[in-house]
Amino acid sequence: MPPKSQPLKQVALRCALATASLVLAAGSALAADESPTGELRLHWDDRSPSTTGPLSAANRMQPGLAPPQADAGVAEAELRHTAHARLGGQAWSVGSQLLAWHERLNAGQSNSHARVNELHLSTDLGGWSMTLGKKVLGWDVGYGFRPNDVVQQEARRTLLSVTPEGRPLVEAEHFGSDTAATLVWVNPQHLNRSPDTNTWRARESALAGRWYQRSGTVDWHGFARVGEHTRASVGAAVAWVAADDLELHASWRAMQRHDGWSGAGASGAALMRSNPWGLQTLGGARQWLLGLNWTGQHQQGLLIEAWHDGTAPSNAVWDGWLARNAALQNSGAPAAAVSGNLAWQASPFDGASLRRDNLFIRASWQPGEWLCTLDALLQPADRGRIWTAGLQWQGNRIKLNASWRIYGGPADSVIGQLPQRGVALLAAAWAF
Amino acid sequence: MNPISSRWTQRLALAWLAKLLMLASPALASDITPLLKDADRYRTGADNLQVETQVTVLNKDGSVDKERRYTVFAQAQHKSLVLMRSPAEAGQKVLMLGDDFWLLLPGSARALRITPSQKLLGDASTGDIATMSWAEDYTGSLVGEESCEGKPCLHLTLTAARKGLSYQRIELWLGKARHEPITADLYVLSDKLAKQARFILDKPAAPTMVTEMVLLDQLSNHKETRVRYVARSNRQVPEAWLNPMFLARNPALD
Repeated sequence: MPPKSQPLKQVALRCALATASLVLAAGSALAADESPTGELRLHWDDRSPSTTGPLSAANRMQPGLAPPQADAGVAEAELRHTAHARLGGQAWSVGSQLLAWHERLNAGQSNSHARVNELHLSTDLGGWSMTLGKKVLGWDVGYGFRPNDVVQQEARRTLLSVTPEGRPLVEAEHFGSDTAATLVWVNPQHLNRSPDTNTWRARESALAGRWYQRSGTVDWHGFARVGEHTRASVGAAVAWVAADDLELHASWRAMQRHDGWSGAGASGAALMRSNPWGLQTLGGARQWLLGLNWTGQHQQGLLIEAWHDGTAPSNAVWDGWLARNAALQNSGAPAAAVSGNLAWQASPFDGASLRRDNLFIRASWQPGEWLCTLDALLQPADRGRIWTAGLQWQGNRIKLNASWRIYGGPADSVIGQLPQRGVALLAAAWAF
Repeated sequence: MNPISSRWTQRLALAWLAKLLMLASPALASDITPLLKDADRYRTGADNLQVETQVTVLNKDGSVDKERRYTVFAQAQHKSLVLMRSPAEAGQKVLMLGDDFWLLLPGSARALRITPSQKLLGDASTGDIATMSWAEDYTGSLVGEESCEGKPCLHLTLTAARKGLSYQRIELWLGKARHEPITADLYVLSDKLAKQARFILDKPAAPTMVTEMVLLDQLSNHKETRVRYVARSNRQVPEAWLNPMFLARNPALD
């Protein structure tokens, strides 16, 4: 039986699709110089729950309290279109990217959603390119971690690469032959809102700038950002093609404040009445990344990146977190109270990095239309690791993907205590 | 003497003859520039071009493995921009400024700096599609006069003038009378023969342009790739189009 909210969701979905159609139709009316393009995707995610960690323990004490993420089959439709027009002698363009999806969980539930990933209006004024609307704006040079992706703050190392949801912004850019300057006001709609769950991290209203300079085989980037509650941060990045087969890159960022997880009061076996973990604006932090990318003559590749993420919980925080997990399970307090407190212990799993120091290694081989990958994310602090194997085939229109990710490491490692032990993904995409 | 050693002896003699001629007349080495310019005219005809290209990869049995469409803006001073037009790659771009390369993927809004080796990934490398000028990119010498399918032709050996080029050595055969390209052996940095190219001309009796380049892979899959030049027009693109950060905006390029 569908959930009660289903009709409402269907109405919302229809409204979103109707709006999308109107946008596309309006765009087409401007100038039909390019046909819409897009992709239809089907994927199945099979998740194996972990038997260790606070969430697993909570579910053992009180079954169904925080059920592991269910296996799911997802059908997605993505549509992209850019329309151009000349109004009053001024050239304008409207870019849009829409996503609609239907998800069916193995428990029999199903959900439908639609989202406008991008919808922006652009024009050129006095040598500057101006953009207003919702847009994906990715910065920085790394693969596994991007300290200076200060606008988009895109999730990295996902099993299936899809277009992220853009950010509301006002953007001005200027381009020289070897230089570029970008100024962005991101999330202007959140200006003067008190910090809450709607304004943390990438949802914070902020001004950001980037300077780009090309010097032969080197790309230089400088970044600055002023967030409404995280204050100022500065960063720099460089990408250097050192040899025909070798690219080196580095990225660094220092910030006055950052949004991070804090578990004030969450120590020992003390039972709390509400979740002690929450995102808070914390003090200064540093982030850096060093990486290399090597490509061999037989279409094999090797990517190695090491990074430090000072916004992740410190080793001391994780030590306290581990001690509390053990203390709660041995406290002898009522199961209902302990299980709830254990479930809250899973809160700090939501972050760009779990541990501050990380090593990422990715090997790939691309013979023709095939792409085989194997990567590992290693966290030396507790020897936690994530292995991912992937196989992709790209035809004229069809793309097939199979990926398998395993979370491992010692039982007391943070990765070893994640709610999932592994994820398998099968995906097919048809481009049009 | 067996036929193989006879052929080797003939080639060796021709090579020595060419070297002797070069020593005797230093001007001969530079004489190939007009030859290459003539050959380039059959492929391009201008410094700044927009070329619509269709690439078809054929299996060994002749069946179509895949098809791709590209728009190439080949500009002066070794600058090229390749736009992928096929559904599977729509929105992807490769920018080549001399020996510097960037890959742009739709949706990521980032310009990814890539190495010359990464540029070669795939069946039809972007170098095959975007490299339009031998005269600007290669130096070399005339090996000698040979016979190509019963017609007299000139054999040239070319060396890349820049390290970022897909092929570091090219053995090129041009028609003796009109200097139209006939065939080429393309060698990668390790001096391995990567591909053999054959050029299809519009009017074999009085050719004016190359309509198709047929590439036979010699390194890995031995597939045949047909690069068909669907349309060519003179086109100088705005300077900003050749800035990787501008392309990362996914602007309209038409």
